Amino acid sequence: MAFKTLDGNEAVASVAYRLSETIAIYPITPASVMGEHADDWAALSRPNLWGQVPGVVEMQSEAGAAGAMHGALQAGSLVTTFTASQGLLLMLPNLYKIAGELSPFCMHVAARSIATHALSIFCDHSDVMSARGTGFALLASGSVQEAQDLAAIGHAVTLESRIPVMHFFDGFRTSHEISKIAALSDEDLQALVPHEGVEAHRNRRMTPDRPVVRGTSQNPDAFFQAREAINPFYQAFPDKLEAVMDRFAGITGRQYRLFDYVGHPEAERVVILMGSGAECAHETVEWLMAQGEKVGVLKVRLFRPFATDRFLQALPDTVKHLAVLDRTKEPGAQGEPLLLEVSGALMEAWSRGDRQTLPRVSGGRYGLSSREFTPAMVCAVFDQLKEASPKTRFTVGVRDDVTNLSLEVDSELDIESPKTRRALFFGMGADGTVSSNKASIKILGEGTDLFAQGHFVYDSKKSGATTVSHLRFGPLPIRSSYQIRQAQFVAVHAPQFLERFDVLEHAAPGATVLLNVPWSQDQVWDRLSVEVQRVLVERKARLYVIDAAEVAEKAGLERRINTVMQVCFFALADILPRDEAIAHIKESIRQTWGRRGPEVVRRNVEAVDSALANLHEVPVPEKVTATRTRPPRVPEDAPDFVQKVTRLLMDGQGDKLPVSAFPPDGTWPTGTSQYEKRSIALEIPIWESDLCVQCNFCAMICPHTAIISKVFEPEAAENAPETFEAVPESFTPELEGLDYRVQVAPEDCTGCGLCVEVCPAKDRTQPKRKAINMRPLEEHREAEAQNLAFLRSLPDVPRDRIPRDFKSLPLLIPLFEYSGACAGCGETPYIRLLTQLVGDRLLIANATGCSSIYGGNLPTTPYTVNADGRGPTWNNSLFEDAAELGLGMRMGLDKLVGRARQLLEDRKDSLPPELYRDLTIPCATLDETAMAARREAVSRLRDWLADQQGPGIQELASLADELCPKSVWVIGGDGWAYDIGYGGLDHALASGQNLKLLVLDTEVYSNTGGQQSKATPMGAVAKFASAGKETRKKDLGLLAMSYGHVYVAQIAMQSHSNQTTKALQEAESFDGPALIIAHSPCIAHGYDLVHSPAQQKRAVDSWAWPLYRFDPRRIHEGLPPLQLDSVRQKVPMKAYMQEEARFRMLELRDPERYEHLVAAASEAAMEQRELYKQLAGIHFEPHEHPESDHKEDDHHD
Amino acid sequence: MTELATRWLGLDLRSPLVVGASPLTDDLDALKACVDAGAGAVVMHSLFEEQLVAEQMAAHRFIDSRINMDAEARSFFPESEAFEMGSGSYLKRLELLQRELDVPVIASLNGISPGGWTQHARELEDAGASAIELNLYDLATDPADTAATLEERQLEVVSSVVAQVTIPVSVKLSPFYSALPAFVAGVEAAGARGLVLFNRFYQPDIDLDELELSREVVLSTNAELPLRLHAMAMLFNRTTLEMAASGGVHSGDDAAKAILSGATAVQVVSALLAEGSSALARITDEMNQRLSTMGYNSLAEARGALSLDNAPNAQTWERLNYARLLHGWQSAGRKT
Repeated sequence: MAFKTLDGNEAVASVAYRLSETIAIYPITPASVMGEHADDWAALSRPNLWGQVPGVVEMQSEAGAAGAMHGALQAGSLVTTFTASQGLLLMLPNLYKIAGELSPFCMHVAARSIATHALSIFCDHSDVMSARGTGFALLASGSVQEAQDLAAIGHAVTLESRIPVMHFFDGFRTSHEISKIAALSDEDLQALVPHEGVEAHRNRRMTPDRPVVRGTSQNPDAFFQAREAINPFYQAFPDKLEAVMDRFAGITGRQYRLFDYVGHPEAERVVILMGSGAECAHETVEWLMAQGEKVGVLKVRLFRPFATDRFLQALPDTVKHLAVLDRTKEPGAQGEPLLLEVSGALMEAWSRGDRQTLPRVSGGRYGLSSREFTPAMVCAVFDQLKEASPKTRFTVGVRDDVTNLSLEVDSELDIESPKTRRALFFGMGADGTVSSNKASIKILGEGTDLFAQGHFVYDSKKSGATTVSHLRFGPLPIRSSYQIRQAQFVAVHAPQFLERFDVLEHAAPGATVLLNVPWSQDQVWDRLSVEVQRVLVERKARLYVIDAAEVAEKAGLERRINTVMQVCFFALADILPRDEAIAHIKESIRQTWGRRGPEVVRRNVEAVDSALANLHEVPVPEKVTATRTRPPRVPEDAPDFVQKVTRLLMDGQGDKLPVSAFPPDGTWPTGTSQYEKRSIALEIPIWESDLCVQCNFCAMICPHTAIISKVFEPEAAENAPETFEAVPESFTPELEGLDYRVQVAPEDCTGCGLCVEVCPAKDRTQPKRKAINMRPLEEHREAEAQNLAFLRSLPDVPRDRIPRDFKSLPLLIPLFEYSGACAGCGETPYIRLLTQLVGDRLLIANATGCSSIYGGNLPTTPYTVNADGRGPTWNNSLFEDAAELGLGMRMGLDKLVGRARQLLEDRKDSLPPELYRDLTIPCATLDETAMAARREAVSRLRDWLADQQGPGIQELASLADELCPKSVWVIGGDGWAYDIGYGGLDHALASGQNLKLLVLDTEVYSNTGGQQSKATPMGAVAKFASAGKETRKKDLGLLAMSYGHVYVAQIAMQSHSNQTTKALQEAESFDGPALIIAHSPCIAHGYDLVHSPAQQKRAVDSWAWPLYRFDPRRIHEGLPPLQLDSVRQKVPMKAYMQEEARFRMLELRDPERYEHLVAAASEAAMEQRELYKQLAGIHFEPHEHPESDHKEDDHHD
Repeated sequence: MTELATRWLGLDLRSPLVVGASPLTDDLDALKACVDAGAGAVVMHSLFEEQLVAEQMAAHRFIDSRINMDAEARSFFPESEAFEMGSGSYLKRLELLQRELDVPVIASLNGISPGGWTQHARELEDAGASAIELNLYDLATDPADTAATLEERQLEVVSSVVAQVTIPVSVKLSPFYSALPAFVAGVEAAGARGLVLFNRFYQPDIDLDELELSREVVLSTNAELPLRLHAMAMLFNRTTLEMAASGGVHSGDDAAKAILSGATAVQVVSALLAEGSSALARITDEMNQRLSTMGYNSLAEARGALSLDNAPNAQTWERLNYARLLHGWQSAGRKT
């Protein structure tokens, strides 16, 4: 038998791929990886079990994928798909159809929470449970081994039974856990799959040779009976599944049952559950039995159709107390789904007379959104069942101080076998820690007889992310489906973690602690805080240090320290002989990076060879000597909510917060990112005031609002900190008399270097010195943090004083700051600019994607408020419906505005006339003078209303703010705009509503890892387009222009901010729908984003990304609505394409295809250019506004 | 007519005119046209050590480093089993040219460190290269780096490349050696078979508007030829290495001069880039006519006829005359 170490996604995909002919996919976390594997394998022409390469198609949404699946099934094909969460919801209508038509079909779900009060990418069963009415069989697996095995069983049983199967396993916990499993060979699958079932399925296909009709409409006389006709198939299913499971056992020796019972044969207390939690319960039950307890666990494999008889057979008759655990929540239900099935089955047994007595049944919820489910919690459940009157409904894993449902849990309990070695690693996202840990698991899993398990936890930041790897190795099978609580080895791969987290919280007594720090051996102890020293002393830990960054740097790997740390791990963990381990590491380097070329391998091997010489033990003294404590996570002046809630979330201690700490409806304060100081840059930009030309390009391009420029009254800065420099504003006449300063936010900067890249000012005697230069963070952090705080405290100058040109706009206060976006992100500057223009009057409807993650993922969020407390208000509904959400906001808002005006009109006669006038004269969102006057008038209205009485007075007071105009913007990526949300976007544009849509076009699904969208350009390699995209990018702008009433612009801010600011303001001032398509450089393009201004310029100059503005207002003036802001093609398409890895990968792989696609892309650009030129030259006779005095000779370039 | 067939690096060439290392490597049609026009061999552009390394490391940094760092995005590109960042595409190109062109194809390596990259030499041989042109290009910026250590390092590179392969290796040099004949003797001792004189530098220029360096490729002119002629004339008969002129050959007369100075082969690049493949036929005809008119029956007769050893006024090649010429030039300058 072949053992492999792989994750659940790969294990499942490998089976599903081999047993399918057609695979329709759409990316969604945590299931995307299965589709990616399928696409990769197809690109490499890997055959399925029948020698064919499956057809893999990415659709525009899961709804689209489901339709395609349905069609392929009707054509007689063997079909699969992979999805989760909202994706599964979008498939539901077709799943009913597929089941109703008895189509053999097996799909795989990496179970994930459904978005309710908030989105969550993590695991529970709320998605799968929402599909329990579809008629699909629901098959649950709880580990990587089971996920592989039940995937195969699912594909086999659907062919035997005609009932479609939804096989599910826990997202992340199983889908992303790496585990050593016995892999299924092609021969195993051949023996398992019923080939007559395949033939029977094919014979039911639609063919004009034997025509049938399906999908009829049925009337009351037929539908009911026809629906009941399906019953025998469901009745037969349990037997058929059991037969397949038995056959599987015959082939592999692994026996599964519909309900697998583990525990005392005469158990009195039993828990029932499904998924990975059952493995933890299994481990705990064995431990409790060893203590003499009569307990058991019933693992549910087949949830639907619920096999009552099998269930009753599996449950020991001796059971007195049952706890049914559901990993989902159905508010208002009598109980969660598994509880209801179990209760119903027991009641049926009693009704039929099969049972004379019934056990007491309690129902509990656990593990929502990947909340940990530990042996201590299982024990808490068993303890509860001992109570005289156990809670009939409970939760476990949270502290519910509101409805008091939760069980007390002994958090200290540790039942893991000492034979299992446990190691924890804290890494930075980009340092490769997780990759090398995956390699280590492979080394140990495939090179030894040990069992191995790896689980990886990521935070939600895209820059400076933290990863925590949980690795277990040992001679016993590993069922611990929870994070490590007692680690014998803890590695801290970046020194800043020592200051940010309690990294040693889970260090076991006597643990080995490995630190990567840039300090010499004898400095280390004194550099540690009281907290770290205390744990080391109290737990008698052994401390080792290495300056891995230096070792890596010397080997030419920059700061990629993973191979160095991997060597140290093996050297200290003592699982394998050192030399053997090092040989394995080198081999794994060759395997992983060999194809990158010999130099990558050589440098990594060199790093491996020099690692151990730099690893040193630091003696741990008898007692703590430090006096310095870990710095407080948030400043003392942070708001109460931030202190009490946000701080714990940042510390990774959020799960200790009780229910009462949380808002019940998903409403959170904005402006919290300012309290999360991550200090992730090594170097930050420092301003040289003598060289600065006050162009504000730095502030304009900064993706993190980490460099700002500000003007202020000189006298306001009299008490400035010592290093706070300012110079007179001397480039903008309107701002004369003010002082000017460029300021870095040292602890928020990611060090991307874009600001320095675009800085045009040079020292003439040393041109490499610019007006801002990257300097070491540590030298400037403290002073600049003080300067920043001071600058933020200075009053803003009135908004109407700042000119609305592209050079001055960055002086407006940004209301979007310090997001967790990637270093160098090309999206965020657009959002920041938008908030500078209209942030204090802005409602945002945000599609799911990168912009919703860096825009709204806890613990802290970047949208913030100005000195008056005003700022953007933000909501993310779904991936597909942002345009509709925005349209609804606009319509709802307009009704409130209408009502406020109506109430105002009602009081026209009693209102002071000038107040009435001030509240009714035109006021545009971009007219700062008018806006300020209107706000002032509203405040006067409030004062006036305070003295009034009567009907409507209170109502008008509460709606008075709506007399100030608001702006509604929809924000999303190209996956939303071009694919899944296109229908809604199109409809919103067609509606004519005053709604603005900003498409942050990265030309791939960035958030889920670079899958192609219809915005992906021709020739680019992307996931699901491994061979390079063959078709042209959809011309979304042209489609929108075809309406004639939509303002459309295509912009590129990193290189052409002037045109961007024009377009945003024109869109905002346009009384109708506007679509802005914004070129957004992204790490998925494969180049150093510090070059994005130059590369974006190439995109514009080559016509890969033409700039234009289409303004319907111009039609009424007799002007062509389309203005081309890029007229000529200034550089060849190739000059643009050759600079990005997404194109270069194709060139390396297939130079001829690359040349062909470059030529085709060039041709496409030429055709588009000719078409646009003609559109831009179109002549309209002036109408409606014949008095217009505009001439047609307006020329724009 | 002069017999143009010649032997260079042990390869039988039907003409001494060779397409030099250039972007033409990527243009199969143009190369075919050059061969049709009479080219004796084709040298591919360099497999560039720094470029290979830089690209591999860039991929490592921008692709491999973005794997496994985010819960939602496992990576940002497809699994890349299907392509490699090493020399693969170069080798494929070499195989293609070897297959499609019926003249010898000489692969070219450019690097300065004796490290592992010289193993590419063997890959080039395995892919069918007729010979290897090793381009030594080094820039000393460290005051501690003496000419001696630099030259020693270069010779080490030559030996290690020669040791990798059984096919002949020629070495392309820069013009800036204090003692060229001594260094050439070292190259010979290191096992090389030929010399290519000289490398042309793509030296950066200064952009006065932007106050920064600019990089533009400037094609050669035949004003650059005399430097080569001088070197070959000096080395002829002082080394057994076969010499190829490279840089400044734009006409048949230029080519004839190179041969008379001692060249066995004459590489042409800028003329082809400026004028197209037809330049090769033109230069061949012009050279042939010139050498025939001068009464040479074969290239061997002409080769080195005006070298330091054979020229009637050989001191013209030497320093004495250089000084005099310089004086004359200065006084001429004052007169005008």
